[in-house]
Amino acid sequence: MDDPHDRSDRFELIAACDGDALESVADQVLASDPTLDVLQEPRPQLVMQRVVEPVERRPFNLGEVVVTPAEVSLDGERGFAMVPGKAERAALSGAIVDAAVADRHPIADEAVAVLEQAGEAYEREREQTWAESRHTTVEFETMEDDL
Amino acid sequence: MGYVAVTAGEEIIERAEDLFEKQRLDDDAPSLSVDQVDGQLSRLTAQAMSEGGLYAPRLAALAVIQAQGDTVEASFLLQAYRSTLERWDETNPVDPSDMFATRRVSPAYKDVPGGQILGPTKDYTQRLLDFDIEGADEIDPTADWDLPDAEPTTVRNVMDVLREEGLVHEPAADAADLDDPVDTTREPVTHPAGRDEVLQELARGETGAVTALGYSAMRGYGQVHPTLAEVRVGKLPVRITHPYTGDDVRVTDVEVSESEAVVPVYAKRDDPQFAFGYGLTFGRNERKTIAMTILDASIQLDSEAEPAENPEFVLDAVDGLDSFGFIEHLKLPHYVTFQSILDRIRAVREGRGLDAEVGTAASSAADGGDAPAQAPEVSDDD
Repeated sequence: MDDPHDRSDRFELIAACDGDALESVADQVLASDPTLDVLQEPRPQLVMQRVVEPVERRPFNLGEVVVTPAEVSLDGERGFAMVPGKAERAALSGAIVDAAVADRHPIADEAVAVLEQAGEAYEREREQTWAESRHTTVEFETMEDDL
Repeated sequence: MGYVAVTAGEEIIERAEDLFEKQRLDDDAPSLSVDQVDGQLSRLTAQAMSEGGLYAPRLAALAVIQAQGDTVEASFLLQAYRSTLERWDETNPVDPSDMFATRRVSPAYKDVPGGQILGPTKDYTQRLLDFDIEGADEIDPTADWDLPDAEPTTVRNVMDVLREEGLVHEPAADAADLDDPVDTTREPVTHPAGRDEVLQELARGETGAVTALGYSAMRGYGQVHPTLAEVRVGKLPVRITHPYTGDDVRVTDVEVSESEAVVPVYAKRDDPQFAFGYGLTFGRNERKTIAMTILDASIQLDSEAEPAENPEFVLDAVDGLDSFGFIEHLKLPHYVTFQSILDRIRAVREGRGLDAEVGTAASSAADGGDAPAQAPEVSDDD
């Protein structure tokens, strides 16, 4: 998820982006008074998380995850976003940002920069978490020789 | 069994609710925020999400606050909220080996590939009350760590290691060839339950019930006393198919706890191999996950000799909402039920002339007599 110009990468970056940052970019897009149609209202919905258990390699339903999807048409360009949790404004803003970047809106460069920052922040957090966990790696020694 | 509605003053019920709410606010200290509960009491929110079968950390924090720390009540609130939402779709099935593990220990393999990563835990320290927590300076004890540079990666699943050595049987069918798993939130569990149903129900089982039944198998009421291949805590990606591109894309990550239990079955098969129990649930809840592996392995024995091996018993008993409802409904008005019981007992007593005997016995006792009164037979069929 590192290329905001790629639609699938952009979807992941929008989902990882802070809601306030998305809203700020979306407000700038809407300031130019584009034609906006909301194709799918931002409403919390569920996705059922499926996992393939490793014993029999059978999928099972672990449980549901709350997400908020939204879809818009911005000057004829469609945009789709899905963000974690109950976050209607972030989802609608994300869909607008998605469409704006796809449509090469004047604010697209700024949107791309915000999304790149979101991707970098995500990676930084993962690296920090990983480094902290690795710092607790231990080698257990059996003590039968000492007994 | 039938139910008869009762009415009461709505205003009084609201007063009782207000009094309950006052307990949460009845202090000079500021009330807990969602951020505080989500960040500092994540085990509580994890339990509510796990038992509610719904991953939504901030909503779980809200539910925990509203329920004043009662996790089962909080999971009830989450399930009630869930019932108001539409299902967008199922995710693309994710392999647990894709987990970004922040903790992984293997009690079975000392030199497990990827290493023994303790992660955030107090497992190896003394359980002593820390009086210094209250009023202590809030200094991050890891702030001066000199952290190694390392590219985040996934750690290898112990199951795969054992499978490579031929110690775990190969799955009978490829996952892609299997039917969609049954969703027990939409279809009631029917017995014999499939493995997909068992795992889903155990994953959202009530922590105490899952732990107790798993423990029973280790305390003489079962055959499974496993060695844990590994216990992991980490994040699993939530992946959907993008509606425009058709690509597999990540929406978010969910924190999960996972456990795999090794159960030797060399005495029962021609080809000596391990059998496995598996546990996976939302949030950080290792105790429940480990107990889940024991129950999964016990149920796979295909025996009903012990409670933990009987899937119908286990799945009924671990359903937190069911048990919550059945147990707690007993404190609601049962005046009609009780009145009918009284009427029947009185009728039986009258039919046998026992009321007269009690009167006689009472007067006899008053006179210093010691003849025991005969107990009436009471039907318990309601």
